[in-house]
Formats: sequence, structure tokens, C-alpha cells
Amino acid sequence: MSATDIERYICANCGYVYDPAVGESMNTVLPGTSFTDLPEAWVCPMCYASTDQFDLLD
Amino acid sequence: MKPSVASLYQAVELQQEIPPLFIGERANSNGSKKFRELLLADDYGSCLRIAVEQEARGAHVIDLCTAYAGRDEMTDLTTLVRLCAGGLKAPLMIDSTTPEVIEACLRIYPGRAIVNSINLEDGGVNIRRVCRAAKKYGAAVVALTIDELGMAMTADDKLRVARAIHAIAVDECGLRPQDLLFDCLTFTVGSGDKTLRDAALQTLEGILRIKAELPGCLTVLGVSNISFGLAPAARRLLNSVFLHEAVAAGLDAAIVDTARILPLARISTEDRQVCLDLLHNRQEDGEKDALMRFIDHFSGASSTTTDEEQETARPHEQQLFHKVLNGDKDGLEDLLAILRERFKPIDIINQILVPAMRHVGELFGKGELLLPFVLQSAEVMKASVTLLEPFMDRNDGDSATRILLATVQGDVHDIGKNLVDIILSNNGYTVFNIGIKVPAETVIEKARELQVDLIGLSGLLVKSAIVMQESLPQYREAGLTVPVLLGGAALTPKFVAQSCVPNYSGPVVYCSDAFAGLKAVREFEEGRLQSTRYDSAAAVQPMKPGVRDTVLDRTNLVPAPPFIGLRYVQDIDPAKLFPLVNAQALFRGRWGYRRGKMSAEEYRQLIDGTVQPLYEQLQHRSVEKGWIQPRVAYGYFRCHAKEDSLHVEADGREYTFAFPRQAEAPFLCIADYFKSAEEGGDVAGFFVVTIGAQIGKETNRLYQENAYHDYLMLHGFSVEVTDALAEYWHGVMRRELSIGGALKDVQGAVTQEYQGSRYGFGYPACPDLDVHRSLFKFLKPEAIGITLTENMQMVPEQTTSAIVVHHPQAKYFAV
Repeated sequence: MSATDIERYICANCGYVYDPAVGESMNTVLPGTSFTDLPEAWVCPMCYASTDQFDLLD
Repeated sequence: MKPSVASLYQAVELQQEIPPLFIGERANSNGSKKFRELLLADDYGSCLRIAVEQEARGAHVIDLCTAYAGRDEMTDLTTLVRLCAGGLKAPLMIDSTTPEVIEACLRIYPGRAIVNSINLEDGGVNIRRVCRAAKKYGAAVVALTIDELGMAMTADDKLRVARAIHAIAVDECGLRPQDLLFDCLTFTVGSGDKTLRDAALQTLEGILRIKAELPGCLTVLGVSNISFGLAPAARRLLNSVFLHEAVAAGLDAAIVDTARILPLARISTEDRQVCLDLLHNRQEDGEKDALMRFIDHFSGASSTTTDEEQETARPHEQQLFHKVLNGDKDGLEDLLAILRERFKPIDIINQILVPAMRHVGELFGKGELLLPFVLQSAEVMKASVTLLEPFMDRNDGDSATRILLATVQGDVHDIGKNLVDIILSNNGYTVFNIGIKVPAETVIEKARELQVDLIGLSGLLVKSAIVMQESLPQYREAGLTVPVLLGGAALTPKFVAQSCVPNYSGPVVYCSDAFAGLKAVREFEEGRLQSTRYDSAAAVQPMKPGVRDTVLDRTNLVPAPPFIGLRYVQDIDPAKLFPLVNAQALFRGRWGYRRGKMSAEEYRQLIDGTVQPLYEQLQHRSVEKGWIQPRVAYGYFRCHAKEDSLHVEADGREYTFAFPRQAEAPFLCIADYFKSAEEGGDVAGFFVVTIGAQIGKETNRLYQENAYHDYLMLHGFSVEVTDALAEYWHGVMRRELSIGGALKDVQGAVTQEYQGSRYGFGYPACPDLDVHRSLFKFLKPEAIGITLTENMQMVPEQTTSAIVVHHPQAKYFAV
């Protein structure tokens, strides 16, 4: 597992944190999916912001 | 307990989680000319301001020194200690060599201070007196490695003197090791003096050994001596690199001008290497010595630093360019007066200021400059133009592209439009900002009258997007053909391309932010501005997050509200709201302090040093000035669902809320969460909350005064505090309904870790504000000062409304 596989990202618009260890059920993202591997169309499950609105957290 | 110092207001750990502890050095009569002049003028208030400014720039502790020939140090320092005790959040470092003065200051200071400093220069007389005073009043002490032989030059001597001081201070006077901060002193590596070539290494070694051999003791260092005698621009770089090295060696605290310390990542690898070679006295065979290479390397002075001495050595054109780049307004008037002797004002604008702003925009585009700093640059631009205007010819600037800006009918949001105004007008364009809630007729009339080249329309909510779409045919019929730029949170390129472009004869362009607007204006000037296009085949359809199960439980219990009907609440303490403010959304989203290319540590430094202090300052000021006046209109009402509508009983009649339904699976609608009449009916909560109109007035005042940066900050703050009030009141209502109240943190609010949901009107589950029509009839928020615009937006802007749903499966969704 490389570093990017476990890096968490935070939504600049609402503060939601995407954690690869948890995945994200609202968009049916399985645990173990790194942020960079999320589908292009993925949006924040809380506020619908797109991935470019996310900052690397760790 | 971790060693710390304290003011009346807060304790500060001496060993910061991310070292070093920054001690501001500018409130010093020997180190700062400005401070000295204020002191000589007996202007203590302004002296205090220098201390406060450093705090705002990230200093954890403020050094205060008033010693100056001809002044009464006792009066000066005790007066300022009293002032700082009340006016400064950061703890003080009392900087004096006179034991009587130190004792007097410690006696009156209502916290735990640091004394700067003791040494063994006099063989051990003063040190005992000061240590006993420190022991008595519970202060920490800076100990300089100086004895009768003078300043210790080598690591061996530094350690030797430190041991001798330790013996007196700890063993004899009873101070604890953690009360001592050893200052190993440093000498310049910039003089060319051969005996000082390894000065940096001796100091780094000294820090390392004191930390190892005098366990528990701390270290401190005045970093800037290392570069004494070198060119100012290069000094700043060398100081920053040296500080980094010293921290790596174990330095706990640094006495610095926090404004002049650069994050390591802002220094190029090449610059860093030249600095490291000089500090480590590295020289390869056949190479010039490290100092010569250092001086050669920085002789071009192409760095972007803003050292004041360096500034004056630079051509004035460049100075002005860099003032814009760095958002620095100091001395602008003098500089422009000099430039006016050689250039026409319009040339200063077009050839220096506009290119500087263009560069700022490019840096923003590359993610190298954050929005708050862009606004500070724009402030310098604006201030410069204001200073130049009296000297300009009447028709100067007539050739500039003219842009009309308006927020559309019924929409009260003006932050987006105003940011576009700031960016465009400070890039040399002529902007006519005609305000908010502007009807299409007025836009058309003004566009003709002012003969504008482009029109920019803005609006935040979904309704405003519709207004734009529907008013474009009116523009076309009026014969307008100038390009129309559209901006707003509810717009998408798809909506603009498919629903707006066909309604108008000229180009219609989607702009995602102010810089996209700037880009569009430039394309217009180059004759290549085109309508937004949308290729549905190539485009990625954003996902629609949300629950996938469609089976809603119909057997859930209906909670018993404490009352049925309406209540007003006006006595909420604003301080209760701050813990619920979503600081991440505020800092990153509203304020634009994104992490970008910064490392985690650099970002932490930015947040801890700049953003968090600013946030706390806004909290204090807004409470102190009464800018936040939380008021709530809320209630619980019997209701029942019928298909997509919720029928609410209030005042003896029935009000209908028609909610939209998702067009695809799982086809949710807010009404689904409520029981039908056949199921026995239900209870719905509603609220309208506001923090009042005052903060909006204050925000507007900042905009009018061209304080762009503060304007963005206060506006973002007001939006998030409003949201915190909604969060707070939703919690109150959950408690009243006994469906689980307290959140463990803000994150819990973000991810809805509670039963039920609040759906804000105008937001994804219910974008249409027409529901306000019914809501206002029975919740009557006019009683707490809230009114509606013609398209159902609430005034003041810092107001939010929601329906509170108790159904356990209710969570956010988007229609």
C-alpha cells in the first residue's frame, strides 16, 4: 500500500472528510478506495461539491 | 504539566506542537525604529498596537523592551506592561537588564511572563536577584551564554556557561529546569571574518548539547543575527533557513519578526542550498568560499521578499510592482509621488499596476497565491489608483473596457458580484456595479445609458439561475448584443449552454469565479469570446449521492413536541454559537485558505499563525461590538402528507408545502418522511433564524471602504455563524422532541450524526423558495425583523430557514 492509498481528503465547502479506510456509502464507494481512484463524477456526499473542492488533509 | 507561560487570557505552551514558539521582536526600542519613535513621543497606545499586530501575525509571545538612553525605563516598561496585560492575548516577555525594573514588572503582570534576560557578565550578581524574583512571581527566564569573558563563541563554551547558570538558577535559586530558556547566541556568518565561519555550526551544536546535557531546559534564539551585514533580501532567506536548521537541532523558541520568516517551501531549492552551504561552511575544492557564492547568488536580488531596506534599493517601478504582489500599502503615497515625476499616472496604472495584478491572477491560477492575499493585492491597486486619480486627465482611462455588474432581481447576495467587481476594476477595467435585486429592465436601461461592452449577472440561488434564463429574451428583444457573463452557485456550464445561450443573440458565458470573469473579459478584448458550449457526450454527469433504499418505515413514532404553535427566542448568547461554527468550511471554503501545494506543516503554520488568530479576533470583535444578534422564530405544527405535499395546520387553517420529488431512484421527496392523514398525521418543526442585520451593515461598510480582504473575511464569518445558529437551534429542537440532541463535535453535524434532518429552503432537497410564502404566513418572522424579497429570498442576508424532520431515515438528498 502506498501513502496515497490511505490519505484522507477534506471538502473545502462543508468539511466532510473522505477516508479511504471507510469508503463512502452514499455514492457506493468501497472501503480501500483511494481518493485519487474515485470516479471522476464522484461528489461530496454531504454538499455535492466536486473533487477539485477537496484538500489533502494529512 | 507541559511548561507554559500565560497572559490574563490564555496559557501558551513553551514547546509548541510544531516548534518553534515564536516570540515577536518588534516591540523593542533597540530593535525597531518605529517603536522607538512612538516611545519617544510617549505614544503608548501605538506601542501597544505594534505588540497586537505581531500577535495577529502569529507571534505566540511578545517581547517588550523600552530601554533607551534618556528615557525612564521604569515608567515606560511598567506602563506598557499594564497596557499589554489588558490589551494583548499573548503572554509577555519582559526584556530588561535592570533587576528593579524586572521585579516591578513581574509584580504587576497578571500572568506568567518570561524574563529576558540573565547572564554571568557581572560575575553573578544580577542573575541571583532576577532568579529570585522569577521564583517569587513564577516567571520563566531567558539565560544568555555570556560570562565575564564575554559571549561564548564555541559550542563548548556555550555549554560551559549554560551549566554555570543552571547551577545558580536551579540548584541555588530553586527555579525548575523548564523555567530556563538558554539563548546560545549566534554571530553573523556574513562578515567574512574567518573566525566566525562556523558560527552557525557552533550555535546549532550548542543547542543540541544543552538540550542533551541539561535535561528539561529549553532553548531560545534571536535568529536574525546570523545574517547581519548581508543584503536585506538575502537575509530573510538565510534567517528562515537557519531557523529551520535550529529547530531541527532542538530549538524550542525563536525571537523573530514573524512577518519576515518564510516557510521553507517558499524558498527555491537552489536558494536553500546556497544558504545551507553558508551556514554549514561548505566548500568544494576549487570552488569559491560559501560566503562569496552566497553573495554572488543573491546579487541579482530577484527574490520576492519585501524587506524594507531592500525595497528602497530597488527601482521604484519594481518597488510598486512588488507592493501590489505582496499586498503591502506602506509608503505607497511617497512611492507614487516619486513615480509621478517620471511617468504619467495612466502609465503607472497600465504599465506597472495592471501587469502586477495580472501576475497576481496568474499566481492564483497556479494555486500559488490564496484568495485572501489576492484581495490584499487588489487593495494596494485600489489605493494606488485612488492616490493617482487627482493627477489624471479627465479622459484618461476612457478607452478601458466597460462592464456592467448586477445581482439579478429578487436576489440579495452580493459577495460574488462584488468579488468580480474587485478583480475586474483592479485589473484596469471600468466597472459599473449597480447593486442587488436589479430588474432586467434596469440592467437594459443602464447598459444602454453607460454604453457598456459586457454585462455580468450574478445570483446565488436556484431561483436566480431561472431569472437569468428567463430574462435573456428580454435583453435580446431590447436589441442588446453585448456579451453576457453569468455567475452564481446554482449555475452549471450545462445549464448556461443549454438553457441560457439559445435565449440571446450575443455570447453568453458561464463564469465559475471572478477569475473566470476576468479571463472572459480578456477574451472579449482579443475578439475571441464565445458562448459556453456543453458537449453532453464528453461531459461527466456528476453522481447523485444518497440512500439507495426506498422503503421508508411507516411505523416510526411521532415525537411529542413541548408545544404546538409558534415561539420567538431572542436571548441567545453568541458565544454559544462559535463551537458549532464549521471552521473547515469557513477557512477553506468561504475564506479561500486552501491547502494547495503546501505541505501539511506549512498549512498548519498558515492556519495557526494567520487564520485561527484572525478567526478568534473576529469572534471577540463581533461579540464586543454587538454584531451578532441571534433571533429565532420556530414552532411545531400538526401536519399530514399527501403525495408530494405536506399540509400543515396553523392558526386554524391549513398551509400547503409542495415539495419537489427526485426524478430518478430512489425518487425521494421531503413529504415522504411524514405520515398521511390515514396513518394518523404527524408533527413538523420549522424555524427561521437570523444573526441580524448589523453584521451585514458592517460587511458592506468594509466593501465601501475598499477593505477587500476584511470584507471577504467578515462576510464568510457571518455566513458560517448563521449556519452555526441553524445547527444550534436544530439541536434545541431535537432535544425538545427527545430525539437525541448533543453533537460530539462539528464533524457530527457535517455527517448528520443525529436522528432526522433539517432541510434548508433553497438547498438541494428543496431548491424552490416559494415554500417561504406559506412559511412566513404562519411563522411570522417579521416579528424578529425578517422580510421577503419579491422572489422569496429572506432579508437580512444572514438568515436561514428549514423544516425539521424527525423521521429516523431522513437524511440529506438532492432533487
